[in-house]
Amino acid sequence: MTFRRRVRTIYGKELVDLLRDRRTLIAMIVVPIFLYPVLMLGSLQAITVQTQALGQRAIIVAGLGGADGPQAESLAHLQYEYDRIRALEPSATPASKAPAASSESAPGDAPAAEVEDSAASPPPLQLSWTPCASVEEIEQCVRDRSAHVGVVFEEGLTFSPDRRNRIRILYDREEPRSATAHARLEDVIARVAARINDERREALRLPATYFDPFEVTATNLASPSSILGQILPLILVLMTITGAIYPAIDITAGERERGTLETILACPVPVIDLIVGKFLVVATIAILGAALNLGSVCATVYFGGFNELIATAGQGIPYGQLALILLCLIPFAVLMSAIMMAVCSYARTFKEAQNYVTPVILAVLIPGGFAALPATELRGMMLVVPVGNMVLLTRELLIGAPVGTSELLTVLLSTTLYASAAVAVAAKVFGKESVVFADVESLRSTFDRRLIQPSPRPSLTMALVVTAVLFPAWFFLQSWLQSTRGAENGLGALRRTFAAMPVMFVAVPALVAAYWKVDLRGAFGLGGASVRAWAGAVLLGMSSWIVAREMVVFQHNWFGMSDLAADSAAALERLLRDLSPVELVILLGLIPAVCEEALFRGFLLGAMRSGVRKMTAIAASAAVFAVFHFILAKLPVTFLLGAMLGWVCWTTRSILPGVIVHFMHNTILTLSAAHREWFSFLPQPQEGAQDHLPAGVVLSAIAIFTAGCVLIGRSAPKATGGSAA
Amino acid sequence: MVVADNLVKSFPVAGGQKRAVDGLSFRVARGEIFGLLGPNGAGKTTTLRMLSGMILPTSGSARLAGYDVATQPFEVKRVLGFLTANTGLYLRLTPRELLQYFAELHGMDRPAARRRAEHLVDWLDMREFADLRCGSLSTGQRQRVNIGRVLVADPPVLVMDEPTLGLDVISNRLILDFIRRAGDEGKTILLSTHYLDEAEMLCDRIGFLHHGRLIAEGTLEELQRRTGLARLSAIFLKLAAEGTEAAAPAGAGS
Repeated sequence: MTFRRRVRTIYGKELVDLLRDRRTLIAMIVVPIFLYPVLMLGSLQAITVQTQALGQRAIIVAGLGGADGPQAESLAHLQYEYDRIRALEPSATPASKAPAASSESAPGDAPAAEVEDSAASPPPLQLSWTPCASVEEIEQCVRDRSAHVGVVFEEGLTFSPDRRNRIRILYDREEPRSATAHARLEDVIARVAARINDERREALRLPATYFDPFEVTATNLASPSSILGQILPLILVLMTITGAIYPAIDITAGERERGTLETILACPVPVIDLIVGKFLVVATIAILGAALNLGSVCATVYFGGFNELIATAGQGIPYGQLALILLCLIPFAVLMSAIMMAVCSYARTFKEAQNYVTPVILAVLIPGGFAALPATELRGMMLVVPVGNMVLLTRELLIGAPVGTSELLTVLLSTTLYASAAVAVAAKVFGKESVVFADVESLRSTFDRRLIQPSPRPSLTMALVVTAVLFPAWFFLQSWLQSTRGAENGLGALRRTFAAMPVMFVAVPALVAAYWKVDLRGAFGLGGASVRAWAGAVLLGMSSWIVAREMVVFQHNWFGMSDLAADSAAALERLLRDLSPVELVILLGLIPAVCEEALFRGFLLGAMRSGVRKMTAIAASAAVFAVFHFILAKLPVTFLLGAMLGWVCWTTRSILPGVIVHFMHNTILTLSAAHREWFSFLPQPQEGAQDHLPAGVVLSAIAIFTAGCVLIGRSAPKATGGSAA
Repeated sequence: MVVADNLVKSFPVAGGQKRAVDGLSFRVARGEIFGLLGPNGAGKTTTLRMLSGMILPTSGSARLAGYDVATQPFEVKRVLGFLTANTGLYLRLTPRELLQYFAELHGMDRPAARRRAEHLVDWLDMREFADLRCGSLSTGQRQRVNIGRVLVADPPVLVMDEPTLGLDVISNRLILDFIRRAGDEGKTILLSTHYLDEAEMLCDRIGFLHHGRLIAEGTLEELQRRTGLARLSAIFLKLAAEGTEAAAPAGAGS
């Protein structure tokens, strides 16, 4: 039975098993399909109904004197004038409180006010009088809510042109009915005032502009910041996580609790097949959940008329990009599924798993919540913050904002890297004897150093987790070092970045390896190499930079070079010229050669020797090496360089020849850029153009390169096979 | 059929290693029912899990039907059926689906797995409830499904870890009948149990496990002769008191 068939069998069974569970269906289908319409439409309707109800209800007004006193009469007078306006102008124009007519078109906050102002006719007004003896008593009535508002006319109401009516309104802003009543009275007074103004203006035959010297139209050009547009991506991401939680618990801790785990482990099925099958089911359900959530959001926005609320004016959700949004949510769903499975695998019971999941959700909420803040943008560090980057990317895509290819790729690649590490952890944890049979405390057996057995090389899980943690950390550190420029400008940043490399790429994995009792010599592939390997490495180092340079020229000539990439390359060249040759050799030659070989070839590739095929391992480590350079334009050439160095390390079973190749490659390449005068045989670039080297130089380099490869290939120890040990 | 040779299993604990199984050696011949008896924590379950290829021995070796449990765990799992009283079923699957699933996991293609499931449904008289979800079945019906699962690949070796623990009388009877019938059919059975009367009734030979070590091994008659006692419980208590000196085989063994 093949791996694929076994995984398919397990996948099919687990999917049926889960989909028959009521709880899965509720979490996956019922919640997303009903949640958004209920949340959005329901809350909007509730607010509308409540506002209307408050508007139509009689306003209880507390005032001085009885119902037939002068104060009550003034109020009745006001109501009479208002009713007169209603009778005369069934489609009255909006009242303006200020002399200047003002309107504002903003994507997020317009609807509520505009809907009210553009009502066809002024709403009816019902007033009810509560007599009071003093202003203090009126205040007390409003406070104890026996009246909505208090009204005090300084003098009796009159519409004589030479007198201003002074009216005090007492209300409680925290009490919705009081606040609504206050707003209604203000509106009534403004409408009456506007009507009287119009009548006076007409009587004097003055133009409309006489009282309204301004007409202001304000247009908000800021990025869309509606609450809905900010919160929806977070909800979407959270619902994707929620979709993964229940199946992850059910098929790990749930399986153990029901007593079926031992049964399945007694079958002729490798644990990795089992975990892959189960993991694919969790990921499928999380992705289905994400798709249903996304569909439900879009349907609610589309059919509920929320388009203007969510996006820039007139654009709405870019429905054509839904597939892209879903595509972006897939690696995220995979990541969360793997994290949930890894966490739940430690648990012995359903309840225990739920306890473990809670802090994970809280940990996810922190970057997710931060990303949901209006001021947070999809750039810089946020591109690689797990969860946060996905919230931002989803938001940008949902509101139809432009997202660059490099941003998109950085988010997707970093999420994929984190997902791979999480899958490896899940597989490792699930297969652990102590976790499967819970004979000893599972978490302790993983983290208590006294219980850890020494090992000759790091596990794949350890290597992937360390790499996944280092990736954002290195990105943050680089960004921070480059943003804190001193007087020395970019040169200082460059020095600090390369000085930090040994700490990040060597010290951190070394500390992790030492804690988990991994032999450091094995962890970094520090074994010796044959004379052939050394000779081959020198030949490769002499020639690889020419091959790489030719590839870059080819790439630029055929695919072009962005202005940004050209600018940064030129800036780097200028910086390199400011460094002394010795410093340049140490900073850009020696340090990266040692540190990158130690991490990518020693620690990561070394961990893949057991269990991963040669080509897959080399390609994977090369891809991670390329991604760590954070420059899209450099991806192809760094990937190929990483693949070559990976092959050298795999073949010679040591990182040391690779260090020589890497050192020579970097040193010659940077020296040739910084000190062109030393490389007079190279064609000098004219105004940024890139020329190929003379054919003789290239052919010689290829010949030396090939000779180096042959020597390295023949230096392979006898035990080295074509595939993993 | 089953050979354990100086089998050791240690678990890491704070301050060192704890030996759950300590130098265990025994043999079980083809068609024999061998009872592994001992109190809680004696190492019975760990021994059976090692013999089933579920966990790796720390040292020593064991072979089951000629396959090494450490280096050929999948071959080992192909020739054994594993049953415990705690064995759960997938409650949202029907017995028919469950049997078919396990048949496929044992390498059968889908039509063959379907045929095998049908055969077991008939043979174990499960037709009445074969399409109901396992969650709605009685304990006795569930035990029948479990027996079907064990037999899905018709394995020559059965490993049973406390198969009757906590079962009611009817389910208990069902399991005991099954063991007896499997023994009659020539299957090799490795049985661990707390219930000494069950061991007396079913086992051809018995091994007493105490603190991870085999302190005695032989037929019931051999053990009775050696200790001068009639009941297994009394025999065990006496042997346990004698400690490790009693570890030597009581009889010639198989």
